[in-house]
Amino acid sequence: MSVRNALLGLLGQRPRHGYELHAAFEAVVGGKLNWDVKPAQIYTTLSRLAERGLVVEKALEQAGGPEKRIFAITPEGRNELLEWLAAPVKTEHQRDKFFLKLMLSLATGEVDPGLVIYAQRASLYQELHDLTIQRENVDPASELSRIMMLDRAIMHLEADLRWLDMIEARLDDIRRQPLPEPKARPRGRPPKTKNDSSGR
Amino acid sequence: MPIVETEKLTKIYGKGETAVTALKDVDLRIEAGEFVAVMGPSGCGKSTLLHLIGGLDRPTSGRVLVDGDDLAELDDTTLTEIRRRRMGFVFQFFNLIPILGAAENAALPLVLDGVKPAVAKAKAVEWLERLGLPDRVDNRPDELSGGQQQRVAMARALTNDPALILADEPTGNLDSRAADEIAGLLRRISSEWGRTVLMVTHDPRIAANADRIVFLKDGTIVNETYLESHGKGEEKQVRERMELL
Ligand SMILES: Nc1ncnc2c1ncn2[C@@H]1O[C@H](COP(=O)(O)OP(=O)(O)OP(=O)(O)O)[C@@H](O)[C@H]1O
Ligand SMILES: [Mg+2]
Repeated sequence: MSVRNALLGLLGQRPRHGYELHAAFEAVVGGKLNWDVKPAQIYTTLSRLAERGLVVEKALEQAGGPEKRIFAITPEGRNELLEWLAAPVKTEHQRDKFFLKLMLSLATGEVDPGLVIYAQRASLYQELHDLTIQRENVDPASELSRIMMLDRAIMHLEADLRWLDMIEARLDDIRRQPLPEPKARPRGRPPKTKNDSSGR
Repeated sequence: MPIVETEKLTKIYGKGETAVTALKDVDLRIEAGEFVAVMGPSGCGKSTLLHLIGGLDRPTSGRVLVDGDDLAELDDTTLTEIRRRRMGFVFQFFNLIPILGAAENAALPLVLDGVKPAVAKAKAVEWLERLGLPDRVDNRPDELSGGQQQRVAMARALTNDPALILADEPTGNLDSRAADEIAGLLRRISSEWGRTVLMVTHDPRIAANADRIVFLKDGTIVNETYLESHGKGEEKQVRERMELL
């Protein structure tokens, strides 16, 4: 959805053709390392937007070169864009791949959870190191938006590192507690008779 | 030869029932030019380690070798000499002399060492310029920001051309922006100016500037992580992980 709405926004700036949109998207997210979208996805998204009447194919440009389809936003498209811009964004902090790994290391006993934490910490520090160096080489006078994105990543890494310290400090307590298991349920489907009053 | 090497370094404060083991059997090697960060929870022995390596305190047992010299075998005069000539210290509090200008503050160790004031000041100004304070050499500490004062303290630590810089929470008293700047300078002190830097910090962001992070817990080294700046990091970490498993 975000890619779709970003394309609406970029077309809200001015009409563009697909190739231009792809380049504009890449620039605004700070490079394809941050958010890689393939040209094919741009084109399929554009056709879906067109089907819904949010964008229209405006004209063909053909200044000597090959034919290019130019897209423009419609009033309906602009309404959607405004709605999207004004709505807050939900984060996904409770879904965590590392946490899953840690829990499975505890559950299986295959690898010492301490080592899982250590490997993660080393990797986070390496990322933090790389971002810190990148950040130093960005010119705040002209590329402040890039710095803002780097700062976001840096701050999240800092938080992750502190969280790891916390987990490590409490690892022995975590080990002592039973691992979360699914709630026990009677086998099979519960009978669906009129007399059944359970759960009411 | 490593510039710093500790062997089973142990420090116990106090005696009997109230004895506190601040460091236990720490083996640490630091190569010349390396930038090493020491991290760990409060009270784990970070400052103690720095003080023992800096010869500010004597170990209960074990050894500290600086440039191959066993600090325990030196008399106090020689130890003081080594501290002055081969080491520079930077602390959380800048401890500048209020009535002296930036250059005079930075030149002080050299002047106390008997260097002519004009020569000492020239050397100090050189370092203040490298550390980004070319236009503040005559300002007194109360006319400088915290980050600028810390730069003066760093220049003071560097004027006698020490091979080893020891920094205990050098950014502990600064906001995050000034802290970043100081951390960046510490990295340049190692990568551009070839000094060895051993820094204690509890701030991950500051530690991430180092070549290596050493994690202390309850007085012992529990982990170490090498950080690589040229994309080789991942490969090396994978290797480290394989060795662990
Ligand atoms: N002079 C001293 N006399 C007695 N105990 C001491 C002395 N100096 C330090 N300790 C103890 O030795 C342990 C390690 O102290 P140290 O100052 O090295 O910790 P640290 O890692 O630097 O902590 P922080 O992050 O709070 O600065 C602590 O338990 C401390 O109370
Ligand atoms: Mg300390």
